[in-house]
This record gives sequence, C-alpha cells and structure tokens, in this order.
Amino acid sequence: MNGFIVKSGGLQSSIQDAGRVGVNDIGLTQSGAMDERCFAYANLLVGNPFNTPTIEIALGGLVLEVKGTLSLAITGADMAPTCNGKALRLWETHTLHEGDVLSFGFASSGHFAYVSVAGGLQTPLRYGSFSTSIKEGLGGIEGRKLIKDDTICTSGCVLGEKRRLQKHYIPDFPQSITLRVVKGYQETLFDAKAQETFFTCTYTYKGEGDRMGYRLSGEKVIPSVSGILSEAITYGAIQVPSHGEPIVLLKERQTIGGYPKIGSVIVVDCFKLAQLQAGGEVRFEAISLEKARAKAQAFYTWATF
Amino acid sequence: MSIQYAIASESSLIVYFGSTIDPETSKAVQKAYKALKEAHYEGFFELIPSYASLMVVYDVLRYSYEHACDVVNTCIENAKPLEEHAQKKVVIPVYYGTEVGLDLELLSSEKNLSIDEIIALHVKNLYSVYAIGFAPGFAYMGEIDAALATSRLPSPRKSLPKGSVSIADRQTAIYPMQSPGGWKILGRTPTAMFDEAYEGLSLLHVGDVVSFEPISKAEFLQRGGVL
Repeated sequence: MNGFIVKSGGLQSSIQDAGRVGVNDIGLTQSGAMDERCFAYANLLVGNPFNTPTIEIALGGLVLEVKGTLSLAITGADMAPTCNGKALRLWETHTLHEGDVLSFGFASSGHFAYVSVAGGLQTPLRYGSFSTSIKEGLGGIEGRKLIKDDTICTSGCVLGEKRRLQKHYIPDFPQSITLRVVKGYQETLFDAKAQETFFTCTYTYKGEGDRMGYRLSGEKVIPSVSGILSEAITYGAIQVPSHGEPIVLLKERQTIGGYPKIGSVIVVDCFKLAQLQAGGEVRFEAISLEKARAKAQAFYTWATF
Repeated sequence: MSIQYAIASESSLIVYFGSTIDPETSKAVQKAYKALKEAHYEGFFELIPSYASLMVVYDVLRYSYEHACDVVNTCIENAKPLEEHAQKKVVIPVYYGTEVGLDLELLSSEKNLSIDEIIALHVKNLYSVYAIGFAPGFAYMGEIDAALATSRLPSPRKSLPKGSVSIADRQTAIYPMQSPGGWKILGRTPTAMFDEAYEGLSLLHVGDVVSFEPISKAEFLQRGGVL
C-alpha cells in the first residue's frame, strides 16, 4: 500500500477537492477547499489536475505515518511541518518513504494548509466530488474529519525531480484584509447609514466561524427587515441577521436562507477571508461587477489551465 | 407576471417570479427550473429554486451577467407548461413537549397564546412544500396561521437537534439533521426527513402536501425519537 495512516487528526483535517457542482437544488452544500488558491498550488506542484482531492488541515495538529513511497507538496498556512522531526519546506515537493512521520504543528499565520500527493488520494467519489461535508456526513473518510487510525490510500506515483514554487508567487496571510464586495441581492434593505457603516468600519473575526461561514464583529449594520422570503445563497454572500453582525457564507454554507444580504464577497477574496485567524481585521470595499468578474476569470483561467 | 433579475455575485444571478408564498408563484419557479435543468446549458453550475426565486450559478469564463440573464430569459419564455401530478400527502408525527419545543414558552409570551393554542394552530393547517434546501431534506412549507407568524431568532442557534419542527415568518420546516438554525422550535419528529435511500435524499418534495399529527412523548420515543 502507498498512503498514510493517521496518527492524530489534529483540530479538523479533511479530504477536500474543489467541491460539489449541481447538487445545491437537492440541498447538498458545495463544500470543497476553503482556500482554492493554495489548494490549486498544491496540486500544480505535484503535477495533478486542478480538481484533485487533497488533505485540508485547519489550524494544525495532523500527524501522518507514510506507507510505501509517495511524493507530496504542502501549501497554505505555515504549520511548521516536519518529517521525522526535520523541518519540511512548504511550496515545494518532497518524496517520503515507508515509516516516515509527517507532523504538523500549529499555524503561525493563516488558517488552512493543503497536502497534495502526486497521483491524488484514493477516496470515494460522492455526488461528483471527493470533498468532505462534515455537516452532512458525506464524502472523504466516512463524511467526517480525519481521526487516529484512518487509512488514506494514494497512487504510489513518485516524482523524478523536485519542484518548487517561485518565491514571488507565494501568498502571505495578513491579519488585516480588505474584502471586495459585489452589491446586489437585497442591497436596498440596508439604508444609507447602514451601508456607510458597513463600508467604513473595521470588523474583527473573533473565531466565530467554520467551513460554513465566518461571523464578523464590529459596529452593527441593521437591515430594515429581520427576514426575507427564503432564497438561494451564493458563495461569499454576506448575510446580516437582526443582531447586525455580518456573516460571510463560505464553502459549506446552507443552500437556502432567509436573512437579508448586503452583497457578496468576490470569490478570490473568500480565499483570503478563509485564511484569517481569530483576531484578524476585515474591511469591506465595493467593486464593480465587471472588475469582480475579471478577478474570478483570471483566477479560474490560471487554476484550471 | 413580471420577472425580475438581480445580481447575486460575480458568478450568480437570481430571478424573482414574485414576492409571496403562493402556489402560482411556486409553479412559475418550478416551470423555469425544469426548463433550465432539461436544457443542460454548459456552464450553468447550479440551478437553485426556492419559494419565489431561482438562482443560477454560472461559469465566469463563459458568461457575463447580461449574457447569462439573456440565456435564462429565452429559456423561461419558451418553457413548456408543467405537467400536473397527483399531490402526495404525508403525515408527520410531532412531539410538541416543552423539552423539545425549545421556543414554545417564548412564543406563548410573544403571541399571548397558551402553548396548547400554539400547537393547535400549527396542527390545523395543511401545508404545501415550496422548496427543498438549506440542507438536504429540509422542506420549506407554507403557510402557517397568521396568528403564529414570527420572526427568526435575532441570533441563530449554533446547534439544533435533528428532527426539530420549526417556524419562521409564515413558513414551517423540520431540521433534517443537527445544524445551526434561526427558526423558532415547536417540537420534534421521530421521522427521518433525510436519508440517502430517499429520492433526492428527501422524504418531502416540492408540491407534496403535509400535515402534522401530535404524538405523546412515549410514542415519540417508541418511534425512535431522541430527546
């Protein structure tokens, strides 16, 4: 066998690809990698197609024992990974051997790291995706986060030469970010004062969040109604319940909801938000639909090349 | 009926067919949803119907907002009428005790009604299923009696037990699995709303008619309910 035996699952590690498509109408969530950019770099480094399952690690603590031989890359948040106690560099490929112990500490900056293995992971495809949806108990390993003694099989493909991402491509994970917002949806349910508050104040992420979405704390943005007729929720939608604190909905969001939305965070900025640690600061800035589309086009043209 | 288009994000649009919970609006949504689904447009990733709206999530590499709206609009204008189906009737047993009806007491004081009156109001109506979503097996049903209409909780609960029977505005629904949620809770059902063996993962489907039947705590437990 080639692959990993999980020695410790850490806080929340799970199998993720780019998520499910065409299933929201039966209520299944999208799921998928929280930071698609780092996910894409991980697969790119080991020569996998874009939508290949990886191990997503939230905050850290994952320990894996290697079976057989495999080549991998680690991207995203720096959790000071080691192999048999020796530091392993992120953003480059490594070949590991039988009995090696790959161990992650906790993220110094950023929230999610990705482990890609050349040739991919061999886990079951569910509703068109390998992604784990923890809420639904679907995909990955038994629909849950990784736990001790889980076995993850890989293809056994070994890379002949080392590959490394050029330094200037490596993203950083600042604790103060600006998220660009496409207005639309129920924008009109927020009066001029609420809009001004939303676009001028600084919000704090106090750690109230998970793969479903992040709640931000700060000056209250009060919508003119407490609820709307329930309707579909898109990736990045900023819903504001009557408590007045915005919640940005991310990969494992509910498909339909009834809280008013002030706009949507653009796709590429959702990746930045996902990487925020508790205590991080967020500001919102409006962006035109055309510019927002251009950002998404640039990302997906590159990522799915 | 006028159809309105709105921007949801750089890769999604939403079409509104009305603004109320009613069978005609729901049929317009279903008609458009079926036509778009059957057309299999490449690059339309998601078609998500609800009470009065339909969201289309599209590929930004293929569509601009205007282009996507044009394609959706042409398809809707040429949509075939819906076939009439016999309505499926489903009875859902509910234990309406305060230990599981987490908001019964809150509603009682908010509405100035006794708990028994609240239960009676919830049980007396027949409900239509208007949408499936939020989570798999979560059926949006309407309408509850106007005297029972209530706002969502100001702050959603982080975790609600599976089977929680809930209301918000003039809607009612059952949480098919443990999840966060902001609706007010009246009771709990032992019936599984979500199962991989069900068609579309859901016991209920759009167009079904649902009634609620009060059961005792003993019966709830006997039918596999979990407190």
